[in-house]
Formats: sequence, structure tokens, C-alpha cells
Amino acid sequence: MELRKISIRQAAEAVSCGDISAHQLIEETLKNCSVLNEGLNIFTHLAGIDALEQAKAVDRKIEKGERLPLAGLPVAVKDDICYGVLPTSFGSPAFKEFFSPYTATAVERLMDAGAIVIGKTNLDDMSLGSSTVTSPIGPTANPWDTERTAGSAGAAAVATGLCMLALESDSGGALRQGASHCGVIGLRPTTGRISRYGLNASSSSFGQIGITAISGENIISAMEVLSGFDSRDASTAICKEKPVGQDIVPETRELIIGYPAAAFDHLVPDLREVFEQARELYTELGFQFVDLELALLPEALQAYYVIALAESSSNHSRFDGVRFGAAEEAGDLEELYCESRGTILGREARRRSIFGTLLLSKGNYDLYYRQALKVWNLVRREFTDALTKCDLLMLPAVNKLPRLCSEEAGFPDHWSDDIFCAPVSLSGMPSLSLPAGQLGGLPVGMQLVGRPFSEEILAAACDRMVREIKLFPHGNS
Amino acid sequence: MEFEVVIGLEVHVELQTESKLFCACPNSFVPEPNVNTCPVCLGFPGALPQLNSNAVQQALTASVALNCEIALFSYFDRKNYFYPDMPKGYQLSQYFEPIGSRGYINIEDDNGLLKKIRIGRIHMEEDAGKLVHAVSGDASMVDYNRAGVPLVEIVTEPDLSSPGESRRYLEQLKRILQYARVSDCKMEEGSLRCDANISLRPVGSEVFGSKTELKNMNSFKAVERSLEHEIKRQRDILMRGEKVLTQTLRWDEDKQETVVMRGKLEAHDYRCFTDSELAPIELTPEEVDRARAALPEMAEARAARFIDDYGLPEYDAGVLTSSRCLADYFESCLKTYNNPKVVSNWIMGEFSAQLNNAGLEADQCSFRPSDLAELLQMIDEGLISGKIAKEVLEKAFQSGKEPRVVVEEEGLLQISDQSELESIVEKVVNENADSVEKYRSGATRVIGFLVGQVMKETGGKANPGLVNELLVKKIEG
Amino acid sequence: MSDAQQGLDKAIRVMKIKVALSEQEELDRELSVLLKWLEPMLTVDTAGTEQVLTSHDALNVVREDHARQGDLAELQEAAPDFAGGFYLVPPIIE
Repeated sequence: MELRKISIRQAAEAVSCGDISAHQLIEETLKNCSVLNEGLNIFTHLAGIDALEQAKAVDRKIEKGERLPLAGLPVAVKDDICYGVLPTSFGSPAFKEFFSPYTATAVERLMDAGAIVIGKTNLDDMSLGSSTVTSPIGPTANPWDTERTAGSAGAAAVATGLCMLALESDSGGALRQGASHCGVIGLRPTTGRISRYGLNASSSSFGQIGITAISGENIISAMEVLSGFDSRDASTAICKEKPVGQDIVPETRELIIGYPAAAFDHLVPDLREVFEQARELYTELGFQFVDLELALLPEALQAYYVIALAESSSNHSRFDGVRFGAAEEAGDLEELYCESRGTILGREARRRSIFGTLLLSKGNYDLYYRQALKVWNLVRREFTDALTKCDLLMLPAVNKLPRLCSEEAGFPDHWSDDIFCAPVSLSGMPSLSLPAGQLGGLPVGMQLVGRPFSEEILAAACDRMVREIKLFPHGNS
Repeated sequence: MEFEVVIGLEVHVELQTESKLFCACPNSFVPEPNVNTCPVCLGFPGALPQLNSNAVQQALTASVALNCEIALFSYFDRKNYFYPDMPKGYQLSQYFEPIGSRGYINIEDDNGLLKKIRIGRIHMEEDAGKLVHAVSGDASMVDYNRAGVPLVEIVTEPDLSSPGESRRYLEQLKRILQYARVSDCKMEEGSLRCDANISLRPVGSEVFGSKTELKNMNSFKAVERSLEHEIKRQRDILMRGEKVLTQTLRWDEDKQETVVMRGKLEAHDYRCFTDSELAPIELTPEEVDRARAALPEMAEARAARFIDDYGLPEYDAGVLTSSRCLADYFESCLKTYNNPKVVSNWIMGEFSAQLNNAGLEADQCSFRPSDLAELLQMIDEGLISGKIAKEVLEKAFQSGKEPRVVVEEEGLLQISDQSELESIVEKVVNENADSVEKYRSGATRVIGFLVGQVMKETGGKANPGLVNELLVKKIEG
Repeated sequence: MSDAQQGLDKAIRVMKIKVALSEQEELDRELSVLLKWLEPMLTVDTAGTEQVLTSHDALNVVREDHARQGDLAELQEAAPDFAGGFYLVPPIIE
């Protein structure tokens, strides 16, 4: 079964009515995985026998007449999301063999719906980045051009048809930029709409679990399973009033897209042209455009990093060598801490902890941290205001094509990559990354940002836009 | 020079909940280490805190019981520091917005006058684990059973002027919190912990002298002693014209002196910021009013009721209501033995003596109120004498057996069998011819001596009234 | 040198991270870059603006006070030094 050619609904139906058993589907998928993984380095761990056992269990449930919305469908899970069956490495050599004693809510929900976890996907060290270049197993190659990074391994897994869904994390834009680099669809939902329980987030304010798939429709199928209140994550309480599947999506001609033209000036001309052409295409399709301004994007990015660094310094304090880490020969407590933390935390995590604590310390707190929290409020307001003038905002997802695998990112250039995504994270609004076009044979993605809880509108608009340019790497169509 | 003493107390009190503050682990003492733990209270990556509603309710109750103003909007912040007993590397605490503030309680000052002690703030926070320092000295051991247990911290203004006032403040605070049913406040067991800030200044001075912080006091007596010690130490320093160093000192119970704590040189900068994994707490004025209305009867009110309803003297009522569990014990006893003054006498006398000996509180001993009622009934029924009853109480208290069982096993039943007693009376009359002669010649007081001889012969088990009767009959013939 | 730069040494100490000298020199350079990079944010007029408290709008999310004994089996497996039911650390002298 070619996973890239059918919808989740169709695939689940095929498994449910016995056209193909879950076991067959997963066996086939795992075979493809081991072949493709050689070249692309997508997985930190492949599930193998565990996945086949789960597939059998799903087949038995189907025989008993159970209706499973994701029956037998292969999903990939980023390796910063806890899953008790496979090791959860957080991209850190210190956690190479770590088994989480519990499984994340989002993964549990997928499995309860019949999905099969086929593997854990690659990521940057402690998930701090959107390129995978700092992963201990090396970067994931882009299926469109293996010299370049995929940005996110889950996006590469979806683009190559190894899974129907990838569960990924997104703080400053890793999920959305990965989707852009691999030519697939990625959703960062409204803050709190998918439970974060079990996500090792370095930033508690911005870390969010999202979904990557090949269509908006598939994203919504996944949202129906994933979204909702989870007593283990307070932020999901907002879902109590807003279940998925309630929105009425307006006609295309009724949808107004806000276009912050000045934001596109941050791009090199070639790239800007891709988006301008996309805008023309969407206009032809019937979407209405309105020009507007988002003045605070650079400052929003800076505020994002101040807060993310501060939170990272605190969230990573638990890695102290007492409950996690390798046994250090330490004469005293101070030595145990310094040795353990110096080892467990990689270069970027060390940088963020140290800078984060510095920005929080007396004398800097008001100047940087408190100011960032206030700028955050202004950014929220700016997005909210913009979305009173339009239904959707169009923004680039990336400011450049994917990096070469061999390229060392200069500081703070790799933070500047988040210029379009991090501000949206501050806004708390849902953002869908979708292919807007191509440049030099590589996909280029844009974001559609909506009001809180407007995921269905985003997905529907996305499918109306992308229908025309559905392309896959390796000459597949 | 005359000095004035300025003391402020910081008290941590464990709340009496079923589960911990942020997870469902039991909030109960267990001897085995690290069994009341889970991914949340051990700070596992991806685990999120889930706030205990009862802890909030109890903190609210404590706040209104201490006459505090209630913050209708409050939340938790992270206090960042490293110590092995703090699993996450930060403590969740209400740093910026305590649930209660500007409260007070009344105590007696050293002249017996009413004095208002202001409470600056009361806030919720999580407890740390426990460090056990190995005797061998090659490792310290960490037990996280207590990590995450809900606490309130209650901080006074510097209103206390002597060690005696400080002790009375603690006694009154304990009484209020026990009566409010939010904590058992057992300092010896660590459910109430106290740190003290103390400084001296010349009488009449408006500015505070430099203060020291005292830690590690494990009883009210230790608080009083350590403050006395510290006053003398500071006075000596000031009298020499030297300056008191701002330091943290530890009370050494064995040496009965304060010792400078090591490793506390660098002033702490906790880099506090608001936690975004939890949701803020919003209370309505109605909820606060309800909490106020629902406050249980406090000590003073209960003492007044004891005087009115049970006709107890003021002294008895004061002693019985000095702790909630003693007052509960008293009233529980009355349910089956309705003679308040007799019960009061026994509780204040023999029962309290046993409690003091064992170092227990009324609700901790196995001698239940029903046991005391039973014992008193046995006296009334003439089954045992009052003297024997004291012996029975002691034995029952120490063995945990019911009084009736003790009486049977020890053969303490009062001898009321006339024929059995008559032979003993005859023997005593025969052996004490002198005394009998004296009686006959009018010195009837000597009957007491003769009764005593019979009691001696029977090991105190004879019914003294009956013995008296039989003796008179025998002698007067 | 700004306050922030003076704080680098202390921040490394506070975070209890062993950092090689070469890395510390790099961090020092990066810090200057970072502070320069953050300058535009400092000039945003935030007078009268409230700071954001949490990233989500949830309020009063609490659970019932029911205790449940967790499953202990795997909790200490990642601990480097665990014996006799305790997590072990180097001796601490108070």
C-alpha cells in the first residue's frame, strides 16, 4: 500500500475491512524503513518485533469488531517524546539506553486508536535545534537532496512514505521548518490543544507536540484522536470547551488571508519570489488577500530566545547526576554536579543553561527576562489584532533552504532560522506549515496561522492550496 | 547598654492530604525509602505537575484561620537551586503571589498581656526529599518519599521580642492549625519546622541590627533554647563593640549551642520565575467566605463551650483544649461515660502523665477514649478501686490491651465476696489486738489503719467500703 | 564590560556545569554577540504592558486528592548510584 497516495481514513478503512492486515502493512513498512534509513538516517530506534506484535494485537481487535480510526497505521515518534517500549534518547548520548518508565499521553492516544509506532525519529541534542546536525547519530538527510539536512526526521519519514503520521515537537519551529524542508504538511496546534505530558521540553512555555502528514485532511484525522483534555497536562484544560470536528469551514472566496509584506523582506529575493508566486496562485484559486503589518517579528524572536533560554536553564537542572546520568567518580557533591552536568548536557544545552541563568539573575532579570515577557504580550496582541483583519495569516516557514549536512551553524545564526516560526509560538496560535513552491529542486514551505482552535480551517485551506503542487522526493508523484 | 530583641519566625507546615502536591503519590510516612515516588515527584523528563485541589483548599483554610487576606489570583513560581533532595533542580513555590498575606495571631507577651503577631505571608510549596548522612561517611543517601509533599510556609513580621514569646507563638500557631485540621504540626516528626531570624538593637533604636538565621531546631524547647543562646552570643559581641555577622547558624542539640553552617557563604539568587506548566489559581470571594464559614471551632470557643455545656472549671477547659486531639479525646470519652468532671480529672491526671512519659499525643496512643470510659465504668460498678484503676490504665496504655482484659489477666478484680473478706478481717483483728483495744476505748480513727491492713493482705483488691463495714461489725460485735 | 558579561563566571558556577577553558572563552565571545543580538528587544516600548504569566489560558486545573501507589520498577534504573533503596551522592557535611 502506497501510504503517500491515500488518506488516513482510506488506509484505516482498508485495514479495518481486511484488504490488508495491520501485520502485513507494518511488516512492509518496516522493510522499507530499514532500506531507506540506511541512506537517510531517520530513526534513532526502529521498533521491529514490538511493532509487529502491536500490529497483531490490532488485527485481533479488528476481528472482534472494534472500530479503530487509525487501525494499523504506521506512525513515527520524535525521540524527545517518551515511549516506554523503545529507548527515549532525547538526542543525548547520556540517554542512549534510557527507557522512560511511562509513555506520553499523545503516543498512548495514537496507540489506543490503533496506530503502530514503527520507530523513534532523530533530533538535535536535547531537541535544541531545527536541523538535527547536533544529533549523536549525525543529521537526517533530506530525501530531496541527501547532501542537505531534512530539518526534522519525522518530516523525512512522512515524505518518504515510511509512516502516515509523525508525532513531533515544536518550540521555535523545528516541526514547521522540517515540514517545509521535506515538502510535507506540519501542524503546530493551538497551545494546549495536544497534551504535552511526556514531551521532554526544554521550554515549558513553547514546547508543544504537533503532527506531520501529507495532507490537511490527515492532520485533522490525527487531531481528532490527539486533541482533548488530559488531566496530566494543565494547559489542555482549554480543550474542554472546544472539541475538534465542530468548525464549519468557509468557502474559499470567503477566506481572507493576511499578508505581512514587510516580513517577506527578511528573505533573499529568490525565496521571496516563491511566496509571491504562491500568493498569485492562491488568488487565482479564489482566496482573498489583505496586506497588513507584523512589526515585531525580530523582537519576538529575541524575546522567544530570552524566555526559552531561561526555561531551559531550569528544565535541564533535573539532569544532575543523581537520578540520571553515568556514575561519576566524584569526591564531593559539587564535583558530582559539575562532571555529570558537563557530560549530560551537550554544547547547545550548556550554552542555553548558562546564558539562561545569566539572563534570569539579579541585575539582568528586569532588563531582559521581564522585558521579554512584556514583549511577548505585545506580540500576542499584534497577532490577535492581525487576525481580526483576516482569517488566516501567511508567513514563510523558513528563511533559507535546508542547510548542508556538513555545515556548521554559526552562533546565533541557527537561532535566526526561527525568525518566522518563533513569533508564532509566542502568539500561541495554531500554525500549519505547507509547501508553497520550490526553489532549486527543493521544497519551500509557508505557514498558515489561524485564530486559536482554527486547525480545521487551516487544514481545509491547506488542502485547497496544495492540491496543485503535490510532489514527493525521489521522482514519486 | 540595654538591648531589644527582634525575632521573626518562618514556619513550614505539612498539609494533611492523601496525596502529594503535584502527583498522586501517597502523602504518608513509610519507613522504606523511595517507595512513594513517581515520574512527577522524581522530576523525570516530560512529566508535568498536577495540582492537588485539597492542598489548595487546606492552604486557603490555614490562611483564613490565620486572619490573612486572600489572593484571589495566585500561581506557582520556580525557585531554582541545586541540592540532591530537590529532584527537579527547582522548588515550586508561591514566590510572587502568596495565597495569604497580612494576617495575625494573638499571643500573650512576657507580661501576660495580649500581643498581636503579624503574619506577613503564607504560601504553598512542595517539600524536598530527605538526606540521610551515612555514618561511615562515604556517601549520603537520598530518599524522595517526602519530595512533593504539600507545605505551607508561614512567615511572621519581626514582631516577637523574646524566646518565650516565640515559643508561645509556635504553640498558638500549632493549636490553630490543628484545630483548622490542616496539619498535625508535630515538630518532632518534621510536620512542623521552624527557622528563626534574630537580631538585637539598642532599646529605642529604629534600625534593625544585622541578623542571623537559626536552623535545625527540632522542638519548641530547642527553639527557645537556641534563641536564648543566640541572644547571649549576639549581646556579648555587641558589648565588645564588634559587629554581628549575617550568617546562617545551626542549633546543635547535643552541645546546646549554635554553630555556623558551612557552604552558605554565597548569597542565594534563586532566579525565580513563574512556572508555566501549572495553571494559575483563581478563587472567588464566595469561596473565601465559605472557607471562613467552614472553619472548625477554635480552642477559645471550644473551651468556652466546655465550661458552659459540661460545667468544667476554666482551668480544666483550658488544659483540655490546649490541643485539638486532647479535646477530641475528652468529648469522645463522654459519649459512653457522661461524667465530664471525672473524665477531665483522669485525662489531666493519669492519662496525661502516661502521654508525657511516652512522648505521645492523645491521638497517637493505643489507649482509646472508649478504653478510658470503660475503666471509669468499672470503678463505678465497684469492680476495681480507683487506685487499682490507675494501675490498670498504666498497664493498658503500655500494652495496648483493653482495661477489662488487663483486669482479668492480672486478677485485679475487687474482692466484694463477704465470706472471703470476713476471714481476712478476722485475721487482721486477731493480729492487731492493740489497735482493736484503742478503737474500743474510743479512738475510732484507728479503723483507717485496720482497713489498710486488710487492703495490704488482699493486694489492694478489697472493696474498702465493705472492709470498713465488716471491721466495725466484727470489733463492735 | 556589561553586568551580564561579568556574570558569565558566576552563571557557570551557579549552573554547576564543567566547562573547558576554551569553551568558556567561546561563551564569552558568544555572550557579547548575544547581548548585541538582543538589543532591539530592549528598545521596545513596553511601558504599561503587563507581562505574560503563562503560555496557556487554562485556570484552576486541579485534580482530586486521591493517593495511588505508583509502579516503582523502572524509576531507579537510570540512576548512576542506587543501593539499599537510596540514591547515593558523595558525602555531604553540614
